[in-house]
Amino acid sequence: MILLSLVLLTLLLSLLFLFAGRYPKPGFTFSSIWSQGGMAQSILWKVRLPRILLALVAGSMLSASGFTFQMLFSNPLVEPGFLGVSQGSAFGAALMIVIGTSTTVMVQLSATFFGLLALLASYLLAQRFRFGGSLLRLVLSGIAVSAIFSSALGVIKLVAEPTKDLQDITFWMMGGLWNASWKQLFSILWIVLACMLLLFSFRWKLNLLSLEEKTAHSVGLNPKRDRLILLVVATVGTTLTISITGLIGWVGLITPHLARKLFGSDSSFSLPGSMALGSLFLLVCDTLGRTLLPTEIPIGLLTSLFGAIVFIIILSLKHQGGKA
Amino acid sequence: MNALGIKHVSYTYPSGTQALENISLELEEGSSLAILGSNGAGKSTLLDLILGFKQQGGIQLFGKEIGAYGRKELGRTLALVPQTEHYHFSFTLLDYTLFGRSPYLQAMGNPTSDDADIAYQALEEVGLAAYADRSVTNLSGGEHQLLLLARAIAQQSRMLLLDEPTSALDPANRKKVLSILSSLHKRGKTLVFTTHDANLAYALASHVAMLKQGSLLCFGKKEQVVNTEMLTTLYETPLTVCQMGTETLIY
Repeated sequence: MILLSLVLLTLLLSLLFLFAGRYPKPGFTFSSIWSQGGMAQSILWKVRLPRILLALVAGSMLSASGFTFQMLFSNPLVEPGFLGVSQGSAFGAALMIVIGTSTTVMVQLSATFFGLLALLASYLLAQRFRFGGSLLRLVLSGIAVSAIFSSALGVIKLVAEPTKDLQDITFWMMGGLWNASWKQLFSILWIVLACMLLLFSFRWKLNLLSLEEKTAHSVGLNPKRDRLILLVVATVGTTLTISITGLIGWVGLITPHLARKLFGSDSSFSLPGSMALGSLFLLVCDTLGRTLLPTEIPIGLLTSLFGAIVFIIILSLKHQGGKA
Repeated sequence: MNALGIKHVSYTYPSGTQALENISLELEEGSSLAILGSNGAGKSTLLDLILGFKQQGGIQLFGKEIGAYGRKELGRTLALVPQTEHYHFSFTLLDYTLFGRSPYLQAMGNPTSDDADIAYQALEEVGLAAYADRSVTNLSGGEHQLLLLARAIAQQSRMLLLDEPTSALDPANRKKVLSILSSLHKRGKTLVFTTHDANLAYALASHVAMLKQGSLLCFGKKEQVVNTEMLTTLYETPLTVCQMGTETLIY
């Protein structure tokens, strides 16, 4: 019931926010926009609608990925950046921008490739570590891989042409949906939807994979294989999404927490709840970002701000309420 | 029919440490086996091998090599009650017990209302049904152990593997767990459990395997192998087995 209400609220707000913006005047414009002919309708259908749909899809995907990572690592404070995925993608995107082949497709491919490469590197490195259990080894290798890509990204920024490339990289890293178009949306939509559908289908297994490996094995799972499959699916979905939205932090960290508060810990309910919350969160942040000021506020800044506030509240409440 | 057959099984860790050496034993279905030994004797390693968590040939369950079992089939054959388990998320007790129904679900399936009924009955059997909607993070040590047992009961497997089932329990909860396990055993469930407590082994097991430094010191019916001489050799400390009425006491 709560989930249905949440989905309906998101759809209602999506419809409402279609009429919010700075054209023809700041704020909401309902009736006049329909009668203004080509330009107004063009903005409505070619700019705002794909942008709103992108916010819904990206929010849902980032949230589902964050949720998946938290369950797979049995840690409610984890998100896709955990295994170097975000830093890998950021490096990939920056590399394409600096090389000068910064077409959307090339940036997407490069961000996805390096995001996956970071995951693979973390995974392989973890096999070589001789310290701690398998999860701890992955965490440690993720930190190392993340640091390497972060340094490489720093080098790229250092050599980037300051008036153009450096700005592009900086904006990409702040995240934003201002470039949203139908073409961009459809360039990732089907794969991202497939990733979300897969994660949704495995939502019961996510519960079991949050248990200790031996227990997961004893109830009929192949935990190593299943973890790897779900990690790859979540990573592909995340890297494809951020390849066109830029880095958007905190969605994948905060919304799973809120979902567990609202729907309980069973992933059968909290995963779809988290996905719905992610869509709503990104939709609201994006709408605020494009309407609050005359100049657009990068969405990553808003998600970080609101995310951090919610995070502080959740952690403060945890002292009274126990675990996630 | 043999529930468990172990033939000349050895196991060496990747680090080179030999944990088990040439273990052989056979256990009839419906029996209860205590794997008895001091800390570091290889009990948990042997349990992991029987569970199929560590791969090694030479172990048969109900006449079939472990390696020939599918994962879910193995889950329907064996259920594990670990010594302890850490909770990372606030699942309800019913959610947690329902995890035991996983071997019966389709690849992408969710539990049905029938599964929920079975899980609820398992909670009733261990006396936790009244707390079915409570969070697992609010359990006491005794309730925690009972919950792990409930999950294994809900799994409806032919064999139950228990790792030190009463080692962290107070006398009241110990008695409760023993009573539930005895009841399961009487209903034909095969039990295999590790323990360093000779009294528990004698109270619950029909058969005892004594492990010392990775080798099988002896295996047989408890009346045949649990005696002063064997226990003293096993623990390298003087132990006495004495009869007090119908009870056997080891001290």
